[in-house]
Amino acid sequence: MAGEQRADAAALGHEALAYADTLYNLARYLTRSPTDAQDLVQETYARALSASHQFTPGSNLKAWLFRILRNTFLSQYRHERHNPTVGGLDTVAPATPAPESVQWLRGDVELDRLRKVVGEEIERALTSLSEEARTVILLDLEGLTEVEVAQVVGCAVGTVKSRLARARAALREKLRDYAP
Amino acid sequence: MTCDEARALLLDAQRGRLPADRRALLDAHVAGCEACAHEEAAETLLSELLEHRLPQHAAPLALKRRLAATWPEAVAPASPWWAGWRRALVPALALGVLLLAALPLYYPPSGGAGAVMVTEAVNDHLRLLASQHPLDIESGGMHQVKPWFEGRLDFAPVVRFLGDDDIPLRGGAIGYYLDRKAAVFVFHRRLHAITLLVFQADGLPWSRRGLETIGAVRAQVTASRGFNAIVWREGELGYALVSDVETPELRQLVGRLAPTS
Repeated sequence: MAGEQRADAAALGHEALAYADTLYNLARYLTRSPTDAQDLVQETYARALSASHQFTPGSNLKAWLFRILRNTFLSQYRHERHNPTVGGLDTVAPATPAPESVQWLRGDVELDRLRKVVGEEIERALTSLSEEARTVILLDLEGLTEVEVAQVVGCAVGTVKSRLARARAALREKLRDYAP
Repeated sequence: MTCDEARALLLDAQRGRLPADRRALLDAHVAGCEACAHEEAAETLLSELLEHRLPQHAAPLALKRRLAATWPEAVAPASPWWAGWRRALVPALALGVLLLAALPLYYPPSGGAGAVMVTEAVNDHLRLLASQHPLDIESGGMHQVKPWFEGRLDFAPVVRFLGDDDIPLRGGAIGYYLDRKAAVFVFHRRLHAITLLVFQADGLPWSRRGLETIGAVRAQVTASRGFNAIVWREGELGYALVSDVETPELRQLVGRLAPTS
């Protein structure tokens, strides 16, 4: 029995290690620090190993690992950092323009400006967003469904939809500052 | 469908999550609503920027090794008949993989590293030719064009040739080269446009084979889709010159743009 569990854990570990790059990328954008990102990913794998018996075979392993990583980040890192998230996307509507108020993107001239933004500027804009906004944008970018994102961040699917819309609107607004 | 309803569905439509009937309603609304059409274009563009330009950070190798050491090894199964061969096969396969990975470093394929940079330079040249307003600043000479870039780029483009009667400078613009901004200078030779792109060189797939010496630089001289292109690097800056002007004339121009020693 112990041997079977050990074999299951090893098989899960083999599969989980394939997501090291993806997890590290998310950790980089959450912590904004290469060193902290490495610590976060290592802690994530340690927690995943100890909880491997809780993983449901056939479910989305990547989403499961993302959830552990984010929970680890929230419990260990966010409160220690100098730039904690102020408020959340669900509560900062006045400061975050709704999509329809992003007037500057109206017109081809503005779209042309956005096309000239380079990767470094997108990274800077993204990392300046709140942790919630960064998380939903990156999870969506990773191809997770709204249901899976909801499981990772622990909220309702409808909340994910509105958070993502606000996060993208906020990112577009930030990118406005970088466009030439 | 209202604008609010339409915009709430744009991302779902992008992700292919809308049923056909809802998609048809959305498309009909966007087709008749300029504001929502712009929203759709902006959201699509934002997704493209995130997917193609946002830097992706790979886990360091040392971290991967530590992670691999964290997980327990699988319980060894009973040894199959081929187990004895494995000891010899694994190093042989590893060597084969290593050779396959290393060969392109020494013998890069013709469509490889440098080709990507030439293709992008020709694309940029074509975009300028096709654009109705290719120049952000019309030239009154290099002394007018170069200062215009200040504050618009995070580097200072070094361009030694200021233009003359044979090859006058028409103007400049901010362009985009692969994943980075570029200073674009447009010269003319008779009726032919010559595009010079100046960009930060680090991190690009520079070709290291078949380079020609022009002045004090080693340049890749090639042709692509009917255009002649010369690409070279000077320290932290990269240069790409593209035109349908004959290659010898472009070489002469590179000689005037590049340092002489």
